[in-house]
Amino acid sequence: MMQLDLSRVDYLQVGITSQGSMRLLPISGKLQKVAVADTDGMLQVFGMKKGEVQNVFKAPAPQKITRLVLGGAAGAQKDRIFVSTGSEVRGYTKKGKNFLNFNTNMSEPIQSMFVEGPELFACGNFVYNHYHDCKDTHYMLCGDRINDVLCLPPERTQELIPVLACQDRVLRVLQESELLYEVEVPGPPTCLQLSENTGGEEGNEVLYGTSDGRVGVVQIGKLAPTHRWEMPNEKRSGGILCMDNFDITSDGVLDLILGRDDGQVEVYSFDEADEPVLRFSHSCSESITSVQAGIVSTPGYEEIVCSTYAGWVFGLTSEQQTKEMGPSEVKVDPMAVTKINSLKSELDNLQQKVSTEREKYQQSAYSKTAVSAIPLFNINDKFVLNREDASYTLSLELQMPIDNVLLQSDVPVDLLDVEKNSAVVSFSACNPEDGNYLLATYRCQANTTRLELKIRSIEGQHGTLQVYITPRLQPKTCQLRCYPIKPLSLHQRTHAFDEDRPLNTLKLKGQFSLAEMHSWVCFSLPEVPERPPAGDVASFQKGEGIFRSDNISTISILKDILSKEATNKKIRLDITYDIKEESIPHTLALIHPRLEYQLLLAKKVQLIDGLKELQVNENDLTFLSPEYQQILEDADKLQAEFKRQPCHLERLYGMITDLYIDKYKFKGQNVRGKVPTLLEVLDNYDFNSLVQFFETSA
Amino acid sequence: MLVPIFSLKLNHKVSPRTVAIGRFDGVHPSLTCGTTAGKVLIHSPHVRAQAQPAGGATSMGDLSDINLLNINQQVVSIATGRLTDGSEKDTLVVGTATNVMAYDVDNNTDIFYRDAPDGANAIVVGRLGSIESPVAIVGGNCSIQGFDQKGEETYWTVTGDNVCSLELVDFNGNGQNELIVGSEDFDIRVFKEDEIMAEMTETEAITALCRMQDSRFGYALANGTVGVYDRSTRYWRIKSKNQAISIHGYDLDSDGVEELITGWSNGKIDARSDRTGEVIFKDNFSQAVAGIVQGDYRMDAGSTVEQLICVSVDGEVRGYNPAPPGLAGNLMDTNLEQDTIRELSQRKQNLMLELKNYEENAKANTQLQTTLSVNPGDNSKPPHVELYISTTNDTVIRAVLIFAEGIFDGESHVVHPSPSALSGTLRVPVVPPKDVPVDLHIKALIGHKGSTQFHVFELTRQLPRFSMYSLITEPGIPEPRSSVTMTLNERPQRLLMWINQSFLLNEDITGELDVDVSFLSLRGSGPLVIRMTQTGQLTIMTDDMDLAGDIIQALAEFLNLEDLLTTADFPVEIETLKQILIKVDEYHRVRQKLTAEMADHSNLIRSMVVRAEDARLMGDMRSMRKGYMELFDLNRDLINGYTIRCNNHQELLSCLKQVNQIIQRAGRLRVGRYKTQVVNACRTAIKNNNTSSLYKIIHTGMA
Repeated sequence: MMQLDLSRVDYLQVGITSQGSMRLLPISGKLQKVAVADTDGMLQVFGMKKGEVQNVFKAPAPQKITRLVLGGAAGAQKDRIFVSTGSEVRGYTKKGKNFLNFNTNMSEPIQSMFVEGPELFACGNFVYNHYHDCKDTHYMLCGDRINDVLCLPPERTQELIPVLACQDRVLRVLQESELLYEVEVPGPPTCLQLSENTGGEEGNEVLYGTSDGRVGVVQIGKLAPTHRWEMPNEKRSGGILCMDNFDITSDGVLDLILGRDDGQVEVYSFDEADEPVLRFSHSCSESITSVQAGIVSTPGYEEIVCSTYAGWVFGLTSEQQTKEMGPSEVKVDPMAVTKINSLKSELDNLQQKVSTEREKYQQSAYSKTAVSAIPLFNINDKFVLNREDASYTLSLELQMPIDNVLLQSDVPVDLLDVEKNSAVVSFSACNPEDGNYLLATYRCQANTTRLELKIRSIEGQHGTLQVYITPRLQPKTCQLRCYPIKPLSLHQRTHAFDEDRPLNTLKLKGQFSLAEMHSWVCFSLPEVPERPPAGDVASFQKGEGIFRSDNISTISILKDILSKEATNKKIRLDITYDIKEESIPHTLALIHPRLEYQLLLAKKVQLIDGLKELQVNENDLTFLSPEYQQILEDADKLQAEFKRQPCHLERLYGMITDLYIDKYKFKGQNVRGKVPTLLEVLDNYDFNSLVQFFETSA
Repeated sequence: MLVPIFSLKLNHKVSPRTVAIGRFDGVHPSLTCGTTAGKVLIHSPHVRAQAQPAGGATSMGDLSDINLLNINQQVVSIATGRLTDGSEKDTLVVGTATNVMAYDVDNNTDIFYRDAPDGANAIVVGRLGSIESPVAIVGGNCSIQGFDQKGEETYWTVTGDNVCSLELVDFNGNGQNELIVGSEDFDIRVFKEDEIMAEMTETEAITALCRMQDSRFGYALANGTVGVYDRSTRYWRIKSKNQAISIHGYDLDSDGVEELITGWSNGKIDARSDRTGEVIFKDNFSQAVAGIVQGDYRMDAGSTVEQLICVSVDGEVRGYNPAPPGLAGNLMDTNLEQDTIRELSQRKQNLMLELKNYEENAKANTQLQTTLSVNPGDNSKPPHVELYISTTNDTVIRAVLIFAEGIFDGESHVVHPSPSALSGTLRVPVVPPKDVPVDLHIKALIGHKGSTQFHVFELTRQLPRFSMYSLITEPGIPEPRSSVTMTLNERPQRLLMWINQSFLLNEDITGELDVDVSFLSLRGSGPLVIRMTQTGQLTIMTDDMDLAGDIIQALAEFLNLEDLLTTADFPVEIETLKQILIKVDEYHRVRQKLTAEMADHSNLIRSMVVRAEDARLMGDMRSMRKGYMELFDLNRDLINGYTIRCNNHQELLSCLKQVNQIIQRAGRLRVGRYKTQVVNACRTAIKNNNTSSLYKIIHTGMA
């Protein structure tokens, strides 16, 4: 397979860009032009000529620009630029003529939009609006945040089928103002793209990317969806922010180009079995907000143009950048030299300006009349639960380099090491009496604009994680961000609820409103929207709420939290619960395969060193039992797996212990004293004896 | 782009920091690594034809160019070098927790085998100072021993703590090597033979040292710092969250200057410019790096280029040739112009942002005040140095971050008061564990209550060296029993100047006549009295010998004293030394007894095995079972005996460490050649078991 060799060329830097705000205009002549919009409200269209940026036009907008899409008359080329700013949509021709200023009068600013001929689909955080020739035609209020919107190509599907990507892990397929059906996807979808840019063979295939880094294709059928394929995120890369389809490998099949929020740009091609194969990846340490492939700087050389959060627009081009004259000489590009020189003189000027400002600033610190003010800098932050290793990933990204980050938590949490992050961490001694269970500083290396941290919480303990972020920018300021750690922090939203499991039920009755009830649920569970949705895992109505779970510990935590909250609000609650004995063996059975696997793994890993020693001393290993030979063979794999999940066994032990304590708590017995005996049973693990222990001991 | 010129797999685990290369037959280089379970692996791809392993060496079936030496003890350190005068052959020196052995690989013979009761944490082979023959220098528990080719001890000195790393460098450019020693007390010491030439204090245990060009050398610390010194000036250092396992000086970009090559615990390798620390090349192993060496491992005809050879813990070996001149220092396949443009644009962007920041930013009328003072503590709080921070208006301090090295567990300390206790003032207790001057880099987050944005005030305060001592003004404190006296050719005013600089005082002490100042240690080691008369008679009274040494060394530096002879009177310390020496004798006796027992037992075992096996061959199963049962019991006894031996050995080690430390402390009470004199005289006294003269040396500084 041919090696894909792409090298980076920087074009220019604009302000902070939001997701999906850079596009390539259709080809006219030999090269394509780039349209990019930033949150300072500036739309720019530029082309490249001999390595120099040539501006076509710039158009300012009153507010930050959240999206940039291309559209055109039905059947014609899509060469018109539409940007959304506030609740307004503006349209420009490729020459820069402003032909449309349309105020949608939406109650929320537009977050995502899509244009298809005369149709405009615009979404705020929760509302979806469809305009036909700028006339409001359809409307829907969504249960959770809308991340992206798309419409299947009408010339192929014969009708307008919009698809919304919603935060609650579903794609909502609409028909006019009604919900046609929901498609559950494995993670919160963040972006949508027509498969193969046209929607596949029947024009109804949609590519989606999720915030936990998965990609998949769903075929939107007339009545029901079909999942075509799904690519898991084994390497734990960042979430998908943008996608494109383009045949950059020139093998006749469109390749998939992904931009992730950890700065990875990846190219996947499809093999004979239509399985995606990674062909190229580039890491640039800033979130990639949009990607599109095309021909921008040199005729004949295809490239992937990317925009980053901090506003860089760069290309990954197939053109060789270093032109070698021979084995020992490297040709110096005269264009680059002039560029460097002009940049240097610009820098000198700026430096002088900065020095005078610095002095002024120092004086202001002593003036009694001036008013203290701190400018707000933008932070692109994300706090998401990883299902695989039950931890939270906190990612912080700034426009400028980060100097240091201070983490403070008022509940016990663990900080896990992240391979990608090069910052030096230091834990400070802390006193729980001052409300500090964790105080840690991350001192970042020069030019780090993005930092990723991993945090592991403990179910049942809730509080707040406070993060103070100081950028490396004079005068130094700092911003505080708070992230709630919820009591049931390691739960995930699901839409398919298995009614056949033996379920424990917690019933609440009292004088509370639906909104209050919802706020309690929101307080205790992650991934619940701020507004009450129609249905939930727990069903509730005014004055009554029912929670069901097959895990007693969950019910126990909920009971504690809810009664505490209700007492705070002085609401009388009648709590009744129905504990099913058979739910305990059921939960244990769910844990059983994992526990058994982990115990076995730990045992195998322990044996590796000894076996290796034998291998060194003995020429012939056939006397070993096949089991041991297998261990030796898989040694590297086993060790890698063991290293990946260091505390897994401890966590499983913890879960079982909690389950045990909670079971008897509902019976009104305190069994903390029995825990050592339980641990002993666990050490000589056998499923039946464990179940036995749960049933008999008290 | 620089790529490895060769790579191979040893298929053995390699212990970190035990990698060396040597020409054991005088011609062909062999890679030598310590592996798990007490073996040394020798990979000699070029001597395949004549390799005849015999005796202690066992040959591997599948990899014929690998020989394994059984050491039967955990291999702690490995070094190679020409130990035999006039011979081209390299000698392999292996250190374990208790022994040092030198081995002639080519002839498969031991050269010497010596007990090293202090352990052998680090070994280096080479010429030191004007000592005639090459020495194998072994660093252990506070002591450094040098052995010549016969195993005779030709060099001995002590250092402050466990030795972690050793290197020979021509420190002062006189054509002779000086010994550089890194130890667990964070100090890098440079020995010109016995005499300490320089002492640099770092912020963590020094895990590795490497020679670079001329008087430069690289160092690595346990907290992930690497850096380069030229003599006693540090050029640069960087800190990573990973640990540097091995460092090496090698000219990778062929510019005539050696770079610092670092192998990291996460498998990264990078080459940094010796001047700036800028990365010029990097590569990745899948496992941690175990060691980096250089040698002509390809043995190409007509080429004498030495490769840089990197070994990872899972036995992967990669060799790199120096870059061909055409690459012009560009080893990383980068586009220089594009990089420059990017960097300049980045800087431009940062300046623009800063300008914009000034437009909107103002911290009107807020200033931050800090004071350092000594807090003697009370019932609820132990004594500490107090950093008092306050704002000048109604703003509150949300949090304070103090970055300082060597005085906190990590590199920073955070104070984050609970939201209800927020105010414009904050007291931060600081307890420096050692008497070293420290820069406190303070970052205070100042804002209004409930706001989510804060101004960051940054300032740096220096904590003086002796900050953990509070001044006593009222008379009547009991005087310490121990003291050091000396005569200085200085006016008492100069001493006062030094006191004002080095102690944390509310106001400067002044005086015209005799100096008499008393302090109380906050660490609980009692009072400290410093007296000086007009005639230059200086007395330092303290029961803490370490403190007295610190004061004398700091004072000597301040007054530029080259040599200083003092009289020390430390009755308590001498008493402890007496006790320890008695104990050492006891432990030695127990050890001998145990060794004799073990020898008896092993004879017994031999005969029992023979008897039991005889019984088996005869088909007498009952006797056989009985025999093996007895053997089992004996075996258990042996194991018990071994545990006792181990404990005994541990005790012995800690005692010997204490003895070494007392000698070191006694040395530190003197300066210059008197210091060397004390250390050497003490060593001789201990060797000759002459304890009474030992006490005299500690007291007077002379034999």
